Amino acid sequence: MAKSNQVRRIFLAEDNAADVVLVREALDRHSVSYELMAYPNAQAAILAAERCGMDGHPAPDLILVDLNLPWGHGCDVLEAAAKNPALNSARKAILSSFVGSPSDVERARRLGATGFIMKPANLEEFLDNVGRQIAHLLESSDAASH
Amino acid sequence: MKSAASASLNNSHAPGLRPEKVKILAVDDDRDNLLALQAILEPLQQDLMLAESGTDALRLCLDHDFAAILLDVRMPELDGFETAELIRSRKRSLHTPILFLTAYRSDEQLFRGYDLGAVDFLFKPIVPEVLQSKVNVFVQLSWSELVVRRQAEELARTERTFRAVLEGAPDAMVITSTSGDIQLANSRTDTMFGHSREALLGTNIRNLIPEWTCPELVSGGIAMLRGAPETRLPATRKDGSMFPAEITCSPFGVAEGFLVTTAIRDATTQVEAEERITRINQELEKRVAERTVELTRSNEALRQFAWAASHDLQEPIRTVLSYSQWLSQSVTDELDEKQQIMLRFIEQHASRMHQLAGGLQQYIVASEAGQQSWTAVDCNVVLKTVLSTLQENIRDSGAVIECDHLPVIFSIEVLMVQLFKNLISNGIKYRSSETPRIHISSSRGEDGWVFSVRDNGLGIEPKYFEYIFGVFKRLHAVDHSGTGIGLAICKAAVERLGGRIWLESAPGSGSVFYFCHPDLAHGQIESSTSNLPR
Repeated sequence: MAKSNQVRRIFLAEDNAADVVLVREALDRHSVSYELMAYPNAQAAILAAERCGMDGHPAPDLILVDLNLPWGHGCDVLEAAAKNPALNSARKAILSSFVGSPSDVERARRLGATGFIMKPANLEEFLDNVGRQIAHLLESSDAASH
Repeated sequence: MKSAASASLNNSHAPGLRPEKVKILAVDDDRDNLLALQAILEPLQQDLMLAESGTDALRLCLDHDFAAILLDVRMPELDGFETAELIRSRKRSLHTPILFLTAYRSDEQLFRGYDLGAVDFLFKPIVPEVLQSKVNVFVQLSWSELVVRRQAEELARTERTFRAVLEGAPDAMVITSTSGDIQLANSRTDTMFGHSREALLGTNIRNLIPEWTCPELVSGGIAMLRGAPETRLPATRKDGSMFPAEITCSPFGVAEGFLVTTAIRDATTQVEAEERITRINQELEKRVAERTVELTRSNEALRQFAWAASHDLQEPIRTVLSYSQWLSQSVTDELDEKQQIMLRFIEQHASRMHQLAGGLQQYIVASEAGQQSWTAVDCNVVLKTVLSTLQENIRDSGAVIECDHLPVIFSIEVLMVQLFKNLISNGIKYRSSETPRIHISSSRGEDGWVFSVRDNGLGIEPKYFEYIFGVFKRLHAVDHSGTGIGLAICKAAVERLGGRIWLESAPGSGSVFYFCHPDLAHGQIESSTSNLPR
């Protein structure tokens, strides 16, 4: 928690606005200082992933994708991110309400995803688990980059 | 002597022939002589006819066939020789043996007699034994003739029957040598092939049936008179047109060796019918294939729909659930009692809806043949996994789980996990007031492994045994935490694995759920998975 005052940039591909709010709440609970960029569909997220690193589009520390997105798949977003060198050092993870098929999980892993965060149905579990796991990923990102 | 002669007569007739009296004619102008002859020949027990003159004798010869004629040489008007000459001149009596009776031994008489076809001379005074034995010879001769004649008649009748059968047969019948040379053909052959029967004789049957072959006659030195099975070969008519024919060849033995009967049936209509059936079958198969593709497509669409529906249902309801919880946390103090109840119901039912959608998703995973693969599955490890996911339930209910040593089987692990998880959690869920006790065991049955999960819970009435395996079928009110899909998941999983599930239970005495699982060897797995519904 030593670096919690440092503002972390989080890229979130999530179509459910309610979940975006819950993620924010979870991060607040875990005292993470963050800047959240949320994209409501796969195409918007892919476009954003391709632009990262360009002027006015700072690269995020963490890329979180839902598997089930309108107009595409979470892995398509990870693929676009994997092609962008500016995102090499960003942590990548899946945030999903269901256990993906083995082939989806394997594809995500090959595209650089190192975490798989489940969205629990219970509010307390959501705020607690999701927040803790995101914080953990950000810390390990610090460890990796320093 | 008399009895001896009669005995030899009785023994001499041909077997199978009714001892029939033969006719003998005695001709003498002296009535006393005739009576004497009658007395002498009486022991032969034949039919003796008497004539007192040559004219009488000739008249009798018109109406009767005699085995022998005893003819007195010296008679007024027509003497014996003249009578004999006239008898011989008639066709009917041409070969009738004639014995002359004479008192004179004259060479001239003998020559004339033999010249007229006499077979013997008897000199008066007649010695009875000599006469008896001579006449007896002719009686026997007559009998032999009768036998031969009857055999000939029998033969002729058989021949006629054979001809009638041949002509009456619905098939063309051709009798050939083993090399196929035609010896006989019936009239159907004419009409079927257009050749006249006479023209066919001596030609080869291969002119009619080009691929005709003689059936096997000898196998291991033993003559085989079994007909060849029916075969279908092309046949050629006189005008060169062809037609399909059903051929049956049957060899039969004759004095010279073997002949072959070939029955030929025009199979044109049959072939047409068969072709029609084949066409119809192909059409049917095509339709079934089309229907199968259609069904597969709609099945796949349905599967995708069910998956999406269950998943997409889960998403919004999870949000409703989270937010109702959040709301109740943040505003509890400001709500009155009624408002709190409202909020609690929203939460409860959102939670239940979420469980149902989750169960539906599991059910789809269980029933859908897909990515899960068949591997060696250690059921003991499966059970360990299941118990660790259920540990909260087990702890809260105080359930005692006992487990025998389970086998390692070829199966789909995720389905085995679902099976044990649902059966065990069912046992805990529907517990009675007693401490839940659940026992898991396995045995090797006839068709594979049989697993059992026994509980001491509420039990189920037999009339519900089918019902409980349906999707969303529950026997208890909502306050029991079941979703009503657990057993449907089990049934789908067991059926995917090629087994079946059943139970023994009664209210108040717990339940035993059984499921059998085929014991597959490595090699069988490929074929069994490929047969699974997709």
